Formats: sequence, structure tokens, C-alpha cells
Amino acid sequence: VPRALEQPAGLYPVQIIQDEKYVALLHEAMHDVRIIPTDNSPHPKNYWAWDGDSRGRWDGDTFVVDVSNFNGRTWLDMAGNFVDENEHVLERFRLLDRDTILYEATVTDPTVFVKPIEMRFTLKRVPQEQQILEYSCLEGERSLQHYTDEDGGKKRRAK
Amino acid sequence: VTPSRVVRRVLSSAAIAGLLATAAPDSDRAEQQPAGAVCPQTAVGRQDAGFPRHLADRGTAYVNVEGHPGEKGLAASRSIVVDPPDGKIPYRRDALTRRQTNYRNRSTADPSLKCYQASVPRATYLATPLQILQSPGNFAIVYQENHAFRVFHPDTRPHFDATDWWMGDTRYRWEGDTLVADVAAITDQAWLDQAGNFHSTEFHVVERYRMTGPDVIEYEARIDDPVVYARPGRCARPCTV
Repeated sequence: VPRALEQPAGLYPVQIIQDEKYVALLHEAMHDVRIIPTDNSPHPKNYWAWDGDSRGRWDGDTFVVDVSNFNGRTWLDMAGNFVDENEHVLERFRLLDRDTILYEATVTDPTVFVKPIEMRFTLKRVPQEQQILEYSCLEGERSLQHYTDEDGGKKRRAK
Repeated sequence: VTPSRVVRRVLSSAAIAGLLATAAPDSDRAEQQPAGAVCPQTAVGRQDAGFPRHLADRGTAYVNVEGHPGEKGLAASRSIVVDPPDGKIPYRRDALTRRQTNYRNRSTADPSLKCYQASVPRATYLATPLQILQSPGNFAIVYQENHAFRVFHPDTRPHFDATDWWMGDTRYRWEGDTLVADVAAITDQAWLDQAGNFHSTEFHVVERYRMTGPDVIEYEARIDDPVVYARPGRCARPCTV
């Protein structure tokens, strides 16, 4: 978080399923799941995860999610911008029109950044006939070997 | 396609210890708890006029769907194969050889050891719990193990044209109070359990989910594979149990 939502349009979509107690984000990329309770419960103690722990609430028409308990091993992007276990994210999801969500995130990490970072981008609805496909990259799998040098992959051995 | 076997499981929402590791604030040690630990019913959310959210199979069929003896730290399990009545998967003769090879090599060959997603129906009777996500027009199941999830699509559209998905492609409909899901496109790398029970790419599953109590879903999977299983269906009682 928030990297999981920063996917190029149409590449790896996310499906939102919500009921009166949870909002769930099912990401195609990495078959990553975020289940966000909306019952005013606090973050757990002694729990650290790649996606941290999310607790959501509705502020009018804006869904506000407080994300904490990160394991400190994530990057914010492919360029190596990073956070540690003190990362904290406040996300805001708001519908601009029926096909567009405005996503805003405030990322703080007092041991890495000197002040909070504000991010903002939109998420567009994908055509109804599309569905989430299976993503087979696993924890520890070496996807990096498919990357080019400029994208962060290893330099290919000269032939 | 004629069903060749029926697997039935009961999913109880009373056993959600593992899931609470991520969902409850006071469960710091829940990750170490056995999946069979009983949590207070009050901790279990339930949708009105819907399925319970948090569920787990409390058995140990994940070791061997045909049943296995108990040992230290592991409760015995009867076969969950209720048809054929002998509880055995009716392999073709050549396929049985591979099953035996799988069994011998299970400590290294089981795909779940490499953290592949568990596939269907294996994901349902794992020791780890699952969560049902349900809202108008949406139905999905999230499994704790390897954070696998399945989005159920209405059967008004045909299966996605794929043959190598771990969790398959699921199309569903409601038959009264029973959710009936047709699952295809499951990879032949998947196993049914830790004992090496397996299938081919022709594998086809019809699942039935039905609430039999406020916190219990009866789960039934009809499993067919004309390449690997010798017999077409011989359901003891017209394909239901």
C-alpha cells in the first residue's frame, strides 16, 4: 500500500466487494487481497504484514482507510523508493462519477521521510465483460529475471 | 459429463482461529493456534440472509481425501469421498500408478510445498480458514492459505478459455438455497491433497454450498475427470448426499 493500486490502466485490475462490515479489494496482481473491516476496530498488536493492517470508515461519501503494521520490506515503486516498518498510510477513496474513483493517500514514515507524502490518482472502471484473471507469480519467485536492465533487472550477460 | 465422485465437507464458522489472526485486535498468538480451536460465536460476523463470512473445515482431509490414520498432533480422518461408497477415488489403472508415485514423493512433490495456490476443491478443506465475500451481484471466496481468492461469476456467460489456473474458472447459479458452482480450467499440476491424489486438465468440479445451520455450510463437490478416473458416476443417491 499504496503501490498495489498504482497499476497502469487496464493492466492489473482490482475488484471491490463490499458489505456492511467489510470492504475487500481483490487485486489481480500477485492475487493480493486486502480485507478492510469497517467496524471501528483497532489495529492488532504484534502483527506485521506486506499489506499492513487496514481499518476503514466512511466519512460522508469518502471511504477512509488507516493502514499500519507494515513489515517494512516493501518498495513504493520499481525505482527503489522505500519505506520501513514505521510506514503509515491514510487512504481516501471517493467516487467522482460512476466510473471513476479519486484515490488519495498520505504516506508518513518518520524514520525515512522528513515530512508526509501526498499521492493522488484516479481509478477507472473496466468494462463489465472483463474479469480478474489468475496471477501466478508467487512469493519468492524470480520475476526479476524477466525485467530489462532499465526496469531494475539484472544486466544480461553479453553474448 | 457424468459425475464420478462426490466429496462432501462441512464448513463450520465456529473454527475461525486462523482468520482472526488478521481480523481481531486481541489475537496476537492466533497464528500459532490450531485451526480446530473454537472461537466464541460472538466473534463471528454473519450476513443477513446470506452465508456466514468466516468458515473453516475442522477435519484433516487435507492430508488424504481417502482418509488416513491419526498420529501425534494429527487427528484421523475418514474418507470424504462419499461416492463411490468405498471412499476410494476410482482411478484408471495407469493413473493409479502415478498416484502411487505421487504418494511416495509427496514430501517434495506436493505443489503446496512450493506455495502454489491450493486449487479446487482442495482449498475448501485446508486447515486454514476462508472468508466469503458477498454483496448484491458479487460472490467471492478468499482463502487464507497463499492468499488465494476466487471470484464467482454468474453462469450466464461461459467459462473463460484457459486450462492452467490453480483456482480454476468458476460460474455459479442459485438453486433455491443452494449455490451451485461449476469449476473448470484447473491446472493438471494441482493435487487434491497431501497424499498425491491428482487429476488431468479434463478435471471438472461442480460444487454445492448450502447452509444447514446458522453457522454451518455443507459443501459438496462432484468431481469428474474422464482421463484419470475410470468410472463415470455412480452416485449412491441421485448425486446428492
